[in-house]
Amino acid sequence: MFDIAVNDDGSIRLSGRFDASQVDTAQRVFVEITGSTVLDCEDLKYISSAGLGVLFATQKRLMDSGQGLKLVHLNPHIREVFQLAGFDTIFEIA
Amino acid sequence: MIDIPREISSLSELFAFIEGSCTENLVDEKTVFALNLAAEELFTNLVRHNVGGSDVIRVGLEINPERIEMRLVDFNVQKFDPNSVDDVDIDRPAEERQPGGLGIHLVKSIVDQLTYAYKAGEMTVTVIKNRGENV
Repeated sequence: MFDIAVNDDGSIRLSGRFDASQVDTAQRVFVEITGSTVLDCEDLKYISSAGLGVLFATQKRLMDSGQGLKLVHLNPHIREVFQLAGFDTIFEIA
Repeated sequence: MIDIPREISSLSELFAFIEGSCTENLVDEKTVFALNLAAEELFTNLVRHNVGGSDVIRVGLEINPERIEMRLVDFNVQKFDPNSVDDVDIDRPAEERQPGGLGIHLVKSIVDQLTYAYKAGEMTVTVIKNRGENV
């Protein structure tokens, strides 16, 4: 189960399991992001390289205009995946 | 052991098999996360690289107190060695990196052993994850 929701303040809440079967669902939301955005990952349980790919493509696009994604409330397992991928220096992680 | 349809949409079935087996054997949450991640990355690679393979990919899990062995078997396929994939340079700046290519890198990083065997159209990918202090 994966869900992606846009909060009233413009931040995006990810929840459940962001795996390869969810890429198309996520893409539909991420392609609409045009400015710096907070991703609330408090309820995100899992992410794989497929999910990382969606976030990375968005981050690269935003970085071209000096903007970016900020990830908050990562669980320790997901934080480790970001570190193993070398993404902890590419994304702002709080 | 379970036969899973070779479709990306079968991932939920793959995770359910791993989590069910791990729960029965009191495997800790961190190890379950690592097994799920390794299984997804290897399964999706088989689905994408072995187009024309059989309808299912067989997945087996052997859990003992010291280590967990997970095996994925694909049938009627061409030889492909995941260990032959070039390592991703995670220290490159974002501008020089491309999306994708991370799957095998993550698997190699989170499991203790990744091996591959090919015989007569049948490919077996085996990962070993030590349970270490989490026994």
